[in-house]
Amino acid sequence: MTVLLEMQGITKKYGDFTANHDIHFDVRKGEIHALVGENGAGKTTMMRMLYGMEQPTAGRILVNGKEVHFHDPSQAIRHGIGMVHQHFMLFPSFTLAENIVIGGEPKKGAFFDRQSAADKVRELGERYGMPIDPWKKAGDCPLGIQQRTEILKVLYQGADVIILDEPTGVLTPGEVKELLAAIKGLAAQGKSFILITHKLHEVMEAADRITVLRDGVITGQMAANDTDEEQISRLMVGRELVQMSRAAREPGEKVLDIQAIKLAGGKGSKPLLDDVSLSVRRGEIVGIAGISGNGQSELLQVISGLRQPDRGTVELNGADVTGAPVRQIREQGLAHIPEDRYLWGASRDATVLDNGLMGHQQRFRKRGLIDRSSLRKVMNEWVQRFAIKTGSLDTQAQFLSGGNLQKLIAAREFAQQQPFLIAAEPTRGVDVGAMELIHGELLERCRGGDGILLVSSELTEILKLSDRILVMYEGRIAGELTAEQATEEQISLLMAGGKRQS
Amino acid sequence: MNVIKRTLLGMLQPVVAVLIGLIAGAVAILLIGDSVVDTYREMWNGAFGSFYFLTNTLTRATPIILTGLGVALAFRAGFFNMGATGQMVLGGLAAAITGLYMPGPGWLVMIMALLVGMVVGGLWSLFAGYMDARFGVNLLISTLLLNYIASLFAGYMVSFPLKDRTGSAAMSQTPMLEADVWLPKLFSGMSLHAGFILAVLAAVAIYIFIHHSVAGYEIRMLGNNPFFAAYGGVKRGRMMVVAMLTSGALAGLAGAGEVLGTQHRYLDGALTSADYGWSGIMATLLASSHPIGTAVAGILLAALQTGAMGVERNTNVPLEVASVIQATLTLFVSARFGYLFLKRRKERKNNGSAV
Ligand SMILES: Nc1ncnc2c1ncn2[C@@H]1O[C@H](COP(=O)(O)OP(=O)(O)OP(=O)(O)O)[C@@H](O)[C@H]1O
Ligand SMILES: [Mg+2]
Repeated sequence: MTVLLEMQGITKKYGDFTANHDIHFDVRKGEIHALVGENGAGKTTMMRMLYGMEQPTAGRILVNGKEVHFHDPSQAIRHGIGMVHQHFMLFPSFTLAENIVIGGEPKKGAFFDRQSAADKVRELGERYGMPIDPWKKAGDCPLGIQQRTEILKVLYQGADVIILDEPTGVLTPGEVKELLAAIKGLAAQGKSFILITHKLHEVMEAADRITVLRDGVITGQMAANDTDEEQISRLMVGRELVQMSRAAREPGEKVLDIQAIKLAGGKGSKPLLDDVSLSVRRGEIVGIAGISGNGQSELLQVISGLRQPDRGTVELNGADVTGAPVRQIREQGLAHIPEDRYLWGASRDATVLDNGLMGHQQRFRKRGLIDRSSLRKVMNEWVQRFAIKTGSLDTQAQFLSGGNLQKLIAAREFAQQQPFLIAAEPTRGVDVGAMELIHGELLERCRGGDGILLVSSELTEILKLSDRILVMYEGRIAGELTAEQATEEQISLLMAGGKRQS
Repeated sequence: MNVIKRTLLGMLQPVVAVLIGLIAGAVAILLIGDSVVDTYREMWNGAFGSFYFLTNTLTRATPIILTGLGVALAFRAGFFNMGATGQMVLGGLAAAITGLYMPGPGWLVMIMALLVGMVVGGLWSLFAGYMDARFGVNLLISTLLLNYIASLFAGYMVSFPLKDRTGSAAMSQTPMLEADVWLPKLFSGMSLHAGFILAVLAAVAIYIFIHHSVAGYEIRMLGNNPFFAAYGGVKRGRMMVVAMLTSGALAGLAGAGEVLGTQHRYLDGALTSADYGWSGIMATLLASSHPIGTAVAGILLAALQTGAMGVERNTNVPLEVASVIQATLTLFVSARFGYLFLKRRKERKNNGSAV
């Protein structure tokens, strides 16, 4: 098979830090090449160089056998390389068609030809087996559709090699299946993919070849047929992983009790939350499953005080906190790993140290000033315990890899020492090792008598950790299952709005 | 190590910007066929050439530094307070009234006049914050408009009720303050007054506040990412009060300092025509809202202005060359401001209206 793209001896340094060292990597026509490795291994960095967002310190990049130097993404696009980023970059108030043709709009005279854009986009979607409604606003679409739109956009730009950086992180299992099927279909039509993911079963399902990266160095490269998940994780982590599991527990009194919460939607639309009641006891993990956009985010915002409910009550740790300010709710007993680490969970421009201080202001206050030396000491412990890769505590958070920022946020919230924890997508974007660590910490907390509300699009995560599982659909609790009863099929059915079978 | 690096970086930026401005000025001087070296020598002399000129420059820098610090604090919290001029005018007027009519020993009147100036400037600024929080009036626009109201109001006050009717001059101004309520001069025969010391102390205090206090931390986080701040329990309303009040108080202090230290009365237009408020905003933007950098930038801007006067006195190069330099700086600063403003707007839009 012809080699489309090749990296030869690529090294990337940030100051003294080597993010990539002597990388040899290639992509052939029509293949799906998976790139795996721990958080901070240097996967995104590698792709940013291929896409012209960074320039290598040393080494060569070849496209169709000819050496290229990309100074910005538009040059990479012209050479047929497209990238879908770890975080979606669609304009929520634009239609899907507008989002796709942006930068290459069809014109009628001097004006943007909306109709022909929509036609083109519809035709594109059908040709590649990823149909979408071109007139819909991006912000109104489920994440699976937004993901499709991102890929179609790259195809519209004429890409032959498509880089997908953790495309499945935010998708539900059903959406993941569809996505993998779609890219396999595209590969059969001759498109090539570089697929970055932390989920090895996805790698095994979709990839033709696998490259493993550890600490910026390639530790293995093999055909998917010749390997298995265990070998890959050994190459990634350099050690065996311990499996842990839930032990049956005796839950205590209620730490969170919410009753009949109602939250109206916009005019004429359905309520965002419709009569939601649930409770979490001490020593219990309650999982909330559901396709994203069915009220989970709003529910968490109501509980944590970021949004006022129109009706209903929230009781936390024995006190009514309905509509109370966030700070009061946190002091009353809330810790919160938020679902979107960049929007809610961190400040990109601030240092790692400042990001770690949030929620701990009182603890590290000394005569009105921040006691930075104590904070440093405590945060160095987090860095050790969660293996957070960062230049130093004074590095800006935007330079952390996605997974490492997630670990930092998790560490910060675990350290709040509160009896109730919201864990929303707690392991999004973290590698298998860190996932075990965070799961272990959650179970440990629970054994120690804390109550945890776990929201996750990962069904396996929900099934592994939860004592009880609630499924949300269109702003309501569509069903409740105990850990013993729950199966993946049953939950999926409830998630899709089906009735529960008994 | 990092603190030092950050501070140096904060100071480096305004210096680099001024250098670029000077290069642009040099091109202009060459175009009109004069000697760049001679012109800039005169400029340097006019700004720093002797102890007299140096203190003169520092005097001019004092209100720029103070207003700049106020703007810097508000910007850090993400509030675009463009009302330094109005806050300064009202602060100056209030200080003049206090100085004229408050009974008591001179030193006490002086301190009270400074405090009243700060309080009035702070409240005027807070008023804009209140309208933003309560009615959603855009802060950028309200603070700009409040400038006009403040200036016109102060102009009216000194043209009618408070007008000085002792002299023959038809100037719109208050009567002269008693000499014992003036801010003391630092050196006899020089214009530099104790207000400069206050400005330097304020720069250090604001630096410590922003970078080392818990409230300053919350202000920074609010300015960086309001959603993160809300999630972490930072109270936007309270931080807005702190930031707007302090910001306006510093502008008010700048006005009071000018009245008590330089003019010794409130003279209509004296504070607005020198554009201290705008220079303060420029100083802040040049220094990316770093307090120490703002102070440095304030002195550089003052030096450009006093230096230009030197050039005009001693060469044939027209004063407009200084305008070229200023305009380059303004361009630099506007680009930066536009970027900051749009970035915030965009973030707000993308992130919906949850906060
Ligand atoms: N601009 C930068 N300056 C300094 N260090 C950087 C910069 N960009 C990335 N790094 C560092 O390079 C390393 C590799 O980062 P990269 O984002 O490539 O990791 P990754 O493999 O994509 O991890 P993840 O799975 O968490 O997304 C990280 O330790 C990160 O902190
Ligand atoms: Mg990455």
